[in-house]
Amino acid sequence: MTESPPRSGVTIEVRGLRKRYRSTVAVDDLSFTVEPGMVTGFVGPNGAGKSTTMRIILGLDAADEGSALVGGRPYRVLDRPLRTVGALLDAAAVHPGRSARNHLLWLAQSNAIPRRRVDEVLDLAGLATVAKRNVGGFSLGMRQRLGIAAALLGDPAVVIFDEPINGLDIEGIQWIRSLLRSLAGEGRAVLVSSHLMSELEDTADHLLVIGRGRLLADTSVRELVTTASGDRVAVRTGMRTEAMTTLANAGALATITDGETVTVSGLPVEHVIELLTRDGVAFTGVSAHRASLEEAYMELTRDAVEFGAAAGREG
Amino acid sequence: MNGPVTATTHRTTRTAGPLPAAGRPGFGWLLLSEWTKLRSVSRWTVALLTAPVLIILVGLLSAASSQAGNPDSTVSGPDGTWVQDRFHFVHRPLTGDGSVTTRVASTRLELSVPQQDGGDGRTQDVERTVWSKAGLMVKDGLRPGSRYAAVMVTPGHGVRLQSNFTTDIAGPAVGAPTWLRLTRAGSTISAFQSSDGVSWTPAGTVTVPDLPQTVEVGPFVASPAGILMGERQFGTVQFERYPTTTRAVFERPTLEPARATGAASGEPQDGWRDDEVNDEAGQSGPPLPAGARPDKTPQAGPPAAEWAGDRLTLVGVGDIAPRTKSEDVIKLGLTGAYAGLMALVAVAVLFVTTEYRRGMLRTTFTASPRRGRVLVAKAMVVGAVTFVIGLVAGVAALLITLPITRDNGFLPPVYPDWSLIDPTVLRAIVGTAGVLAAIAVFSLALGTVLRRAAGAVAIVIVLIILPQLLAGALPTAAGQWLMRLTPPAGFSVQQTVPHYEQVPRICIPENGCVYDQPWAGFAVVCGYALVTMAVALWLLRRRDA
Amino acid sequence: MSTVYAIRAEWTKLRTVVSTPWLLFTAVAVTAGISAMVTNAASNRTCPVPSPCLDDLPKLSLTGAQYGQALVVVLAVLVMSEEYGTRSIGVSLMAVPRRWRLYLSKAAVLTGVVVVIGSLGVLGSLLFARQVLPGTAFSAANGYQGLSLRDEPTLRAVYGTVLYLALVALLSYGVAAMLRDTAGSVATMLILLYVAPILTAVVTDPRWLTRIERVSPMIAGLKIQATTALDSPTIGPWQGLGVLALWAAGALLAGLLSLQLRDA
Repeated sequence: MTESPPRSGVTIEVRGLRKRYRSTVAVDDLSFTVEPGMVTGFVGPNGAGKSTTMRIILGLDAADEGSALVGGRPYRVLDRPLRTVGALLDAAAVHPGRSARNHLLWLAQSNAIPRRRVDEVLDLAGLATVAKRNVGGFSLGMRQRLGIAAALLGDPAVVIFDEPINGLDIEGIQWIRSLLRSLAGEGRAVLVSSHLMSELEDTADHLLVIGRGRLLADTSVRELVTTASGDRVAVRTGMRTEAMTTLANAGALATITDGETVTVSGLPVEHVIELLTRDGVAFTGVSAHRASLEEAYMELTRDAVEFGAAAGREG
Repeated sequence: MNGPVTATTHRTTRTAGPLPAAGRPGFGWLLLSEWTKLRSVSRWTVALLTAPVLIILVGLLSAASSQAGNPDSTVSGPDGTWVQDRFHFVHRPLTGDGSVTTRVASTRLELSVPQQDGGDGRTQDVERTVWSKAGLMVKDGLRPGSRYAAVMVTPGHGVRLQSNFTTDIAGPAVGAPTWLRLTRAGSTISAFQSSDGVSWTPAGTVTVPDLPQTVEVGPFVASPAGILMGERQFGTVQFERYPTTTRAVFERPTLEPARATGAASGEPQDGWRDDEVNDEAGQSGPPLPAGARPDKTPQAGPPAAEWAGDRLTLVGVGDIAPRTKSEDVIKLGLTGAYAGLMALVAVAVLFVTTEYRRGMLRTTFTASPRRGRVLVAKAMVVGAVTFVIGLVAGVAALLITLPITRDNGFLPPVYPDWSLIDPTVLRAIVGTAGVLAAIAVFSLALGTVLRRAAGAVAIVIVLIILPQLLAGALPTAAGQWLMRLTPPAGFSVQQTVPHYEQVPRICIPENGCVYDQPWAGFAVVCGYALVTMAVALWLLRRRDA
Repeated sequence: MSTVYAIRAEWTKLRTVVSTPWLLFTAVAVTAGISAMVTNAASNRTCPVPSPCLDDLPKLSLTGAQYGQALVVVLAVLVMSEEYGTRSIGVSLMAVPRRWRLYLSKAAVLTGVVVVIGSLGVLGSLLFARQVLPGTAFSAANGYQGLSLRDEPTLRAVYGTVLYLALVALLSYGVAAMLRDTAGSVATMLILLYVAPILTAVVTDPRWLTRIERVSPMIAGLKIQATTALDSPTIGPWQGLGVLALWAAGALLAGLLSLQLRDA
C-alpha cells in the first residue's frame, strides 16, 4: 500500500459529525473542510467541542453520526498514519519514565520511519540537548515542543495541533507561529485550535468558529471582521431629540444610550457628521468604533459560552 | 467581557456568608476535605462497595461448601462445652461432706506403637507429655458429661486439680508415688497432696456448683492418645496418633466418714463398684470381666479392676477433657475478609498515589502546607471508612452464614451455637474490621513511600496472601513464624475455638494456629501500619511534592 | 508488515521504561529464590525410606512460580494500564490506529518477554534442585532419580510452568485493557488468582473442593506441574492448563472488544 505523498492536496473533510456524551451534545452536525496550503484556525470557547472533533478526526473517539476523512479515508484504516497526519492533542500524555528520544523512537518504529528522522525533529523542536532526559522532568513548554516534534516525525501532509500555544513562552509562541506559517507554505493542511481568537489572529488564513458543538462561522479572517457587527458611531450632544430625528430621517438606527450619548449604527461616521451639521444639531464629540476580530468572535459566540466565566478549563 | 458573564464573575467572588476568621483551619476541616476527595471519585466508591460484596460472597461460598463431619460423640459438659468423658472409675457413694484419700503407688503408660515406627525415640516425647490421669474423683453420678472435680498425677504436668472439663489448676510438681486427698464441703472441693500421708500440701480448691447431696467418689484412671506432629512433607503434615493405656496402682483408698456396708466381710474392696464411664458408648457400664486379656485396641475398653489386699490396680483409657474441632464457623463466615481486603487495599493505595500521578499533591499541599497533617487526615479517613465497611460486611456475612453452617451440621454441642451478640463473636467482627482498617492504613502509607500504585498494591497483597500459601511449603516452625510476623497474623482475631492447656492440639500455622491470644496478631498489623506511616511521614517532609 | 513495525515499537516502549528491567529481574529472582527456599526445606524425615512417598519433586522445585506470577501480573497490567495512566494511549493509537494491531503487538511483546523470564526462573529453580536434592535424603541411594528434562513428565512440568506464566500474563493484560487502571487491575488479578487457595484451605466439602480446583485459574493451571498422581480425579495437567487458557482467551477477547468499541 502506498501512502499519498505529502504536500499534494490532502484535506480533512468533516461531514455531519455528531457526538454525545451521555446527556451533553459535544458535537452537533458539524461539517467543514480543511484545505491544504493554509492555516485553518479552529476557535471556540472552552467546551465548544474542538478537542472532541479532533479526537474523532484522529479515530480516538467514535462519532455517533457523520464522517471525518483524512485524504478521503478514515484515520483508522491508515497503515502508516504518521506519514499522512501529524497531531498534537495532549502534550502531557507521555510516559514520564521514558526519555524524549526513546518516546520519538518507538513512534518512528511503529510507522517504519527511519531513526535519523528522530534526531531531525529533535533538532527542529530545539530539544536536541535534552533528548536523553526523562520526559517526567520536562516543563509544559518542553513537553509541548516534544509533542510538536512527534507530530512532524512522519513529514505529514496534514498537521493537527490542539492548543499548541498553551504553556509556551514568548519565544516559543513566535517559533510556533512561524512554524505554522511555513508548514502551510509547504502546501500542508494545517488545523490549529485555540479558545482565544487573539492567538490565531495573525497566523490563521481561514477560521472555523464553533460554539456548543455547532459551526458558527466558516470564513476567512477578513470576512469575519466585516460581517460581524457593523460600525457604530457615538455622538455626544445636548440636543438628543433633534439628533434622533435627523438620524432617523436619514434611515439610521439611533438609540439614546445615556444622558448625553446617542449611538448610531448603519451610517459611516463622515455621513453622521454631515447630517448633524446640515440640520444644525450641536454636538460635543463624535467617536467611531470599528469592530476587532476579537469582538467579532465575542459577538458570534456570545450565546455559545458553555460554562460562563466561573468555570475552569476544558478537559 | 459582555454583560451576563461579568455579572457571573461578580457573583462568584462573594460568598453567601462570611468566611471563617483567618488562621489555621482545624484538623476537622482537613478530615472533611479528605473525606470529600475519597467519596467523590465514583470508581473508588465502586471499589469500596465491592469489598463488602466480596466479603459476603466468599463467606457464603465458604459456608455453603463446608460440611461438618460426624462426631464420635455429642456429650456436653455442665456448661454446654463439647467434651470427652471416658475413664475407669472405682467408686462408692458419699452423702454430704467428706473426703477420699489414697496413695498412687505407681503409674505406667503403655503405647500402642504403629507397626513400622522403629523406636526413633519420638515415642518418648509422648510418654513425657501425654495428659494421662490417675487420681481421685468426686462426680455427680456416672452419666458422661456430668459435674465432677478430680485431683490427679500426670506424667509431665505434676499434680493437677481439674473440674467440669475446662478448669485446670496446677498443684505440686510431683509424680507417683504420692498421696492424694479430695475433700468435699458443700460445693467446694479441695485437693491435697502428701509424700508421706501425714503432712498435706494444698493442691487447689474449686467450686462445683449444683453438686447433689450424694456423689460418687473414688480412684480413676484415664489415658488419652498421644499425638505427634510429623515434619512437613510436600505441603502436608503427618500426624501420628498413639493410643495409650495407663495402669495405675492405688493403695488404701479410703472414704471418710466411713459408712458401714450391708455385707461387711472386712475385705478392702467391699462397697467399691467398678465402672467405665464412656461418652462414646453413650453410657457407663462394668468393664470387661476380670482376667480378660486387654485388647490391642484400647477403644474396646480396659480390663476390670483388680484388688490385691488394699492395693487396687486400675487400667484406663480415654480422657476427661473438652473436645475441640478445628473448624471455626466464625472464622469460616469471615473468610471473605481476605478477598474484600484486596479491593480496600487498592483504594487505599490509589487514594495517595493518584495525587502523585496527577500532580494533585501540589494542589493539596498548597491548600494545606502542613504535609504530615494531610497524610494523617488521609489515614484517618481511610481507616475509618474501611473499619465501618468491615464492620457492616462482617455482621452481614455472619448473619447470612451462621444459619447455613447450622444447616450444614455445625451444631451444638460440637460447635458452639453462636449468636452475633456473644462477646467472642463481637470480638471477631470488630477485630476483623480493625485488621482491615490497619491494613488499609498500611497500604496508604506504603503508597506514599513508593509513590507507585502497582508496586504498592502488589506488595501489600503479596504480604497478605503469600504467607498463607508459603507456610504450607515450609517446615512447620518456619511457617508459623512467617505467619506470626506478616500482616495476616491479624486475622487470628477471628479465632473462636478455645485452646486449653490440658488438651494437646494439632497446630498447623496455615490453618490458623498462629497466636493463642486473639489480639496478638492485631498488634502485629498495627505495628506494620504505624512503622510504615512513620516512614511515610518522614519521607513526605524530606521529599519535594 | 505494519504489524511487525508495531511489535518493534512496542518492544522499544517496554524496554525504555526504567521499571521494566527491575520487574523482570525481580520476577526471575522471586521465582528461582522461593523455589530454592522450598527445595532446601524439603525433607523426607518422616517418610519411611525407601518408600513411595507423595513426592512430586519437579512440582516442589518449581514452587516459586506461584509467587513469581505476582510480578508477571504487575508487568502485564502495566503494559496496558500505563498507556491509560499516562494518557499516552492517544499517541499510541494515532501511530497505530488499527486497534487490534496495537493490542496484538503489545500482547506479542508481553508474551515473548514473559516466556523468556519464565524460562529463566524455571530453569534456575530446576538447576538449584538438581544441585541440592541429591545431597539430601532425596538421593539416588534412597531410590530417587534426579530431576532430568529427559523425563517426560518433568519436561512437561517445566515448559508447562512457562506456558502457565505466559497465560497468566495474557489474562492480566486482558483485564487491564478492560479496567484501564493499574491498581484496580492488579488487585482484581491477584484476587482472581489467590482467593481460590484460601478458599480450599477452609472449605471441607470435597465436592466443592473439586469445583473450586476445576475453575480456579491458579489451581487448575498449576496442575501442569504435576508429575505424580496424574490420574487425579480433579483435573489433569493439560485440562488444567486449558482452564487457564480459557480464562486468558476470554479476558483477551473482552479486552479487545473494550479497546475497539470504547473511546480511547
